[in-house]
Amino acid sequence: MIGFILIVFVSLFFTGIIIRTKSLAAGRKGPGIFQPLKDIFRLFRKGSVYSQTTSFIFRLAPLVYFSSVVMASLLIPFGVSRAVIGFEGDFIFFAYLLGLGKFFNIISAMDTGSSFEGMGASREALFSMFAEPAFFILMGSFALLTGFTSFYDIFNAIHLNSYTGYALGVMAALVLVLLAMIENSRMPVDDPKTHLELTMVHEVMILDNSGFDLGLILYTGYLKFALYGALIANFFIGGLALNAALPLYLLIQFSFAVAVGLIESFMARFRMSHNAQFIFALSSVSFLIFFGVLLIMGKLN
Amino acid sequence: MGLESIDLTAFLLGLNLIVLILGTLAIIVLPGRGKPVAAVVSVLSVSALSGILAILSLRYGGLEAVFSMGSFIGDVPLRIDSLSAWFILIIAFVTLTGVVYGMGYMKAYKPLSPISSLHWFFFLLFQSSMLWVCMVQNGIAFIIVWEIMSISSLFLVVFDHTNPRVLKSGINYMVQMHLSVVFLSIAFIWVYFKTGSWDFKGIETYFTHFPNIGLFVLFFIGFGLKAGFIGLHTWLPHAHPAAPSHVSGVMSGVIVKIGIYGIFRVITYLKADYLLLGEMIIGLSLVTGLFGIMNASVHRDFKKMLAYCTIENIGIIGIGIGLGLIGIAHNQSILYFLGFGGALMHVLNHSLFKSLLFYSAGSVYQQTHTRDMNKLGGLLGYMPHTGGLFLFGAIAIAGFPPLNGFISEFLIYSGLLRAIQSPGVDQITLMILAFAGLSIIGGISVLTFTKTFSALFLGSPRIKLEHKPREVSKLMLLPQYLTVIAMLAVAFMPFLFLKIPVQILAANFPGAPLLQNAEVLAYASLLQQISLFFLVFLLLIGFVAGLRYFLTRNSISVSNTTWGCAYTAPNTRMQYTGKSFSKSFSKLFGFILLERKEYTELMASELFPQRRKYSSHYSDIFEKKLIQPFSRSLNRFTNLFTFIQNGRIQTYVVYGIAFILIVFFGTIFNLWH
Repeated sequence: MIGFILIVFVSLFFTGIIIRTKSLAAGRKGPGIFQPLKDIFRLFRKGSVYSQTTSFIFRLAPLVYFSSVVMASLLIPFGVSRAVIGFEGDFIFFAYLLGLGKFFNIISAMDTGSSFEGMGASREALFSMFAEPAFFILMGSFALLTGFTSFYDIFNAIHLNSYTGYALGVMAALVLVLLAMIENSRMPVDDPKTHLELTMVHEVMILDNSGFDLGLILYTGYLKFALYGALIANFFIGGLALNAALPLYLLIQFSFAVAVGLIESFMARFRMSHNAQFIFALSSVSFLIFFGVLLIMGKLN
Repeated sequence: MGLESIDLTAFLLGLNLIVLILGTLAIIVLPGRGKPVAAVVSVLSVSALSGILAILSLRYGGLEAVFSMGSFIGDVPLRIDSLSAWFILIIAFVTLTGVVYGMGYMKAYKPLSPISSLHWFFFLLFQSSMLWVCMVQNGIAFIIVWEIMSISSLFLVVFDHTNPRVLKSGINYMVQMHLSVVFLSIAFIWVYFKTGSWDFKGIETYFTHFPNIGLFVLFFIGFGLKAGFIGLHTWLPHAHPAAPSHVSGVMSGVIVKIGIYGIFRVITYLKADYLLLGEMIIGLSLVTGLFGIMNASVHRDFKKMLAYCTIENIGIIGIGIGLGLIGIAHNQSILYFLGFGGALMHVLNHSLFKSLLFYSAGSVYQQTHTRDMNKLGGLLGYMPHTGGLFLFGAIAIAGFPPLNGFISEFLIYSGLLRAIQSPGVDQITLMILAFAGLSIIGGISVLTFTKTFSALFLGSPRIKLEHKPREVSKLMLLPQYLTVIAMLAVAFMPFLFLKIPVQILAANFPGAPLLQNAEVLAYASLLQQISLFFLVFLLLIGFVAGLRYFLTRNSISVSNTTWGCAYTAPNTRMQYTGKSFSKSFSKLFGFILLERKEYTELMASELFPQRRKYSSHYSDIFEKKLIQPFSRSLNRFTNLFTFIQNGRIQTYVVYGIAFILIVFFGTIFNLWH
């Protein structure tokens, strides 16, 4: 339960920190860290415009998207404290829940019959497809290493595995950071601040959403960031007592947000056609982790 | 098993035969409108009878009736064990929904009504023969019912016989099905020569005394041709689009699974080589799954897409089968349970959602008369039920919660996760590859089904159709809703259905490790728990919907055109099509997904370009690079002998005379010894 509450808590100011970091890096003062949240509350109170082309799919999709991420957050433990939902193989459920959210996002974009939104939808489908194996190989490797198959057990067992476990944890963190960037359509893959629809991925998919729906989609993005941050943090706080784990968790979330801000400040977006290769290359990093696990377990003799 | 149950079995089977004959008579005698009704009644009765048989066999741990068929074939045992029962129940359900849907669907085929009695007769025969295939356990009799099944399905496929392309697909299907018969016959004859028995028990004897792998591979190729494993799959993408949709629904839902049944049946007799075969099947299935879904993602013909998707699902089932074999090899009951159990559950799930998808796709075809998804669009407004049903099927087949596809895929995923803890590096690597491969398959299914669903049902119509599409009749919707109910039942009460695979696993595989009750119960309750989470998830969506309603009840909601990025004259042709949706994917995998483009380049001298055409088609790499060159060279070789078969009657008479002379002189000079 603590895991879920913390994710919601962190999601409140995560994007604020990213924006603040980017502002500072650009030499500006920037808005307060709660500004994104205030924007969402403003959107919640606003009216909305629906396209005449759209059907019930368009109205249903934001709800499914939000619910899928909330449901996925319920699966994330917090160190020694169990998640609300946890069972053997829960990370498969996790990945498929997020996939369902994406599925609805994509068809909602296609529902508008817009040429631009189809473009984003197609890219989203392609990129998330390529990102899929990286996560599965990563979790599969840790399942191999620890002998467990649920988030909670894996995270707690990694800690017991001493320093080698941490080394893999760092690599896993790298994969997860990049996965989070892809899943949230952030910098090396997609530029949330671009002004040209042709070069957008996620932003162009929600062109026609407005009012409450847009607010919900934006907040879901924040939640998703915090969710991945929590996943990364869990690689390091497993088995720690609460008073040590909590500061470490917040520190990791904070540095994750700062890192995202810095990446976005100092990197340019990849060429769209190179994205797929980049994402697929992530799977090879996951494979490195897999071979690392094989080495640690002494299977490669 | 008491004597009464044997009598009862024979009685029910006899009843089945009587229903078949009566149904055929009724179809022939009744006027046009009565024929489908007679077919529905007969199919319903046969389904009910076989369902009773299956349930009885599950209750009493197997039924058996033996018929004597002369000295050569010998006794033909009809055995219904739990494995047969599982497949019989699936066949009974899917053929039933198929015939009801077909009754509505065939109304559109007025010009072909003269052959409709033939069609319905073959449908009856098709259903019964599939059921018999699951019961008969004598090599020769098996080949005969197998052949009846193939032939009757062939006639169902070529229903639209005036279309030459349909006939061509039909011939392709027929040839490949007979290749399958060749392999199966060789296998059965081999067993007969080694053991002297046509009974399936002979296979067990064979496996006990001789090396397993050769015979198994023969059987695997024979059954794999039906199931559509890679390399053996090329009939599927031709036959499924050619057949009327209720037939393709049943074929994809069930007939393909008969191949899986065959493989399972042979595995029950297997005695050795579990590990090797398991690894081989996993590798092959992984490639099958990836290849199937990659091809599915690019095709514009939505029924062809569904056919390739069937190949993908066979791959998923195959991964389960391989996993189970590895479980037997390592004597790990949990792998055995998760692998075979997952595969059997996926057989059920796939037959449900794939028939649903074919039915709803058929409804689209019936209303629009095109299978090209790039010409359609915005159908959800015209056909809300069909659209909703297709979406249901799409979510289920992509394996997403909260529907039944997730249940079986979860079992297989869990099995792979367990199998990762194997001793050897090769196996660990295979498992992690399968694990990642399954996730890529899932990812590409998302691409495929978002593409198909949105190209068909979302946006605006891309071209103006002659007739405005309307929602199909209630008769066609009813079987689809029935299928949805069945799917929901599997999703929310998986333990009820899992019982039967557990029973199969406990009884049918003598070489397998003993199922651990605790493990089975743990997974049964886990699935139950997951169903509960499905419910929580749905409630959550409902809650957020309520919240949105509550918060926005006073705010203004306006309807306007889609934002065209400040372009003021958008038209429906500018929408993203299915082709453009999957283009970047197909470009990346251009080395597997062969695209053939036809267009004329714009010349620099053409100041005023004329209207021009652009067409692009994808072809199957196996068919194009492997089978076609092979059959072409085979053709070239056999053409060398055209001087023998030259079409002149005179020459044939000479052959006859020569033959008679040879026999005559041979006898005279006593050459035959």
